[in-house]
Amino acid sequence: MAGPVEQQIHRDPALFYWILLPITIVMILTGILRHYLTTLLQTAPKPPTPQKLRETRALHHAQLLRTQNPQIPRASFERRKETFITGAHAGAFLAGGPEAREKGKPNPLSDPAMMEGMMGAMKGNVAMMVPQSLIMGWINAFFAGYVIMKLPFPLTPQFKQMLQAGVGTRDLDVRWVSSLSWYFLTLFGLQPVYNFILGSNNAASQMQQQMQQQQMGGNPLGGAEDPNKVFVNEAENLEVVEYWSVLGGVEERVLGRLQAVA
Amino acid sequence: MAAPASFLQPPTDSNPQHTLALSQRAAAYSKSQQSSFTLPYPLSLLSNTESQEKWATYENIFLACLRTGDNDSAYLCLEELTDRFGRTNERIMALQGLYKEATAQSQEQLEGVMREYDEILKANGAVFSIRKRRIALLKSMGRAAEAMSDLVSLLDVSPTDAEAWAELSDMYLQQGLYEQAVYCLEEVLLVMPNAWNMHAKLGEVLFLSAQKMEGGDQLKTLVESMRRSCRSIELCDDYLRGYYGLKLSTSRLLEALDGAVKPQKSSSDPVAGDLAPPSVESVKKLNQVATAKLSEIVRRASSGEKGWDGYNEAEVKAARELIDKSAQKIER
Repeated sequence: MAGPVEQQIHRDPALFYWILLPITIVMILTGILRHYLTTLLQTAPKPPTPQKLRETRALHHAQLLRTQNPQIPRASFERRKETFITGAHAGAFLAGGPEAREKGKPNPLSDPAMMEGMMGAMKGNVAMMVPQSLIMGWINAFFAGYVIMKLPFPLTPQFKQMLQAGVGTRDLDVRWVSSLSWYFLTLFGLQPVYNFILGSNNAASQMQQQMQQQQMGGNPLGGAEDPNKVFVNEAENLEVVEYWSVLGGVEERVLGRLQAVA
Repeated sequence: MAAPASFLQPPTDSNPQHTLALSQRAAAYSKSQQSSFTLPYPLSLLSNTESQEKWATYENIFLACLRTGDNDSAYLCLEELTDRFGRTNERIMALQGLYKEATAQSQEQLEGVMREYDEILKANGAVFSIRKRRIALLKSMGRAAEAMSDLVSLLDVSPTDAEAWAELSDMYLQQGLYEQAVYCLEEVLLVMPNAWNMHAKLGEVLFLSAQKMEGGDQLKTLVESMRRSCRSIELCDDYLRGYYGLKLSTSRLLEALDGAVKPQKSSSDPVAGDLAPPSVESVKKLNQVATAKLSEIVRRASSGEKGWDGYNEAEVKAARELIDKSAQKIER
């Protein structure tokens, strides 16, 4: 079996200086620009109102009561439990007061605070989409169809799609990389470079942001859950908690440990 | 802890040496931060002087300087912090208020600071740092009742604030309202279940409250106080206050058990879910263990042994007194 014939393409060295380098530099610069643009466009989230804060913290308090019940004596636990359950059923902890109990799920479009949040997300999206499409168009218009570099290692043919986008040559060795593919590679692979330049908390990489958005999941219009329901649920959870005390048998434990040491 | 004053440890009430050392190093530190040599623009980006430690240090030095009366140095630190975080930062607002309170010369000036706080709170009622400063100011002006009612309303909004619960429990304790103090400490434990100092503190408060009770109630409270101290020791091996509380409560409990022979059987019924009362032997054993450990701590701390020098002097002294007292009793 004869060894595979090494494909030779004579590239103009100018390809390197005028395509490979410019694309890379432009990509890095756009990333930096995007980072600062996002920072500029970001509006600090509005501080929640005391009522809203009270609601979330009361809920958190109930969760703590549920998980940390061993820390306090039984009588204290029962007393707090009763207070929370009656309060939760009466809607005493709701941000809108007891009347808000029947309102149900809040409509995100009517809540100005939520609208603001959505606007912020939209601004971020615009800051991401605009440069991306611009650069893609720029590369397509000027550099489409160039083979600009050769990877120093062999690859399987599956990589052809990834590395030779925009070059419709079937027999070309996979190791040759087209300009459009180089754009995609830099798009996905520059995160460490941004980390180095901008610090680890940067907003430069759009891919990461998109992934985050997907993880956050769902429809931004879905809105929050009905707070009343959340409280009633928590009250039910609290009701079925089985109490035990962390102080049970603590003397024996301490004695055992101290005598083991002594 | 004692040797080089760490910049990262906040200066507290109970550790004046640390505070003094910290404030004395203020000038040297601020000089070290302004190095005369900086790289030209693009390279200066690479050498980053920002760090959390730096600003924590500035804050600690600020507090220490205020405590020692070095207001000028404190002002410099405050300026640095304000330049970095801006005037609208909640923490900075509180620090600025603190500076004004500390440098106020007269009652009127304090009232002025109070009015400023009120104004900030009118604009935004959810600035907790300022609300807390206002409460502290009320307290230091001797208006404890107002401070307490303010604190209660703060805790209504934010029932998971351990710091505020602890402060409220202290205030109740000063008024002698033990039951309320206990309630507040239990809240602290809900938020911070492994805070051994809070377990010990709850034990102490329970012990105090037991002095006023009688019969079965007293016994039950003493037992709980003892168990809290045990838990504290379980969480932190060499905690002096835990052993101190354990020794106090066990000796008191032994006396009480001697006095009342049987009635505790009826007072603790298992249906209510109370823990079974401890056996007299285990109480005795705990007492011995606590005494032994306390004397060990006292011995080692006063001889300045390595690794045992972090104890508060006053606490060590109190522990020695307690040991001496109990020793005398035995001799008699």
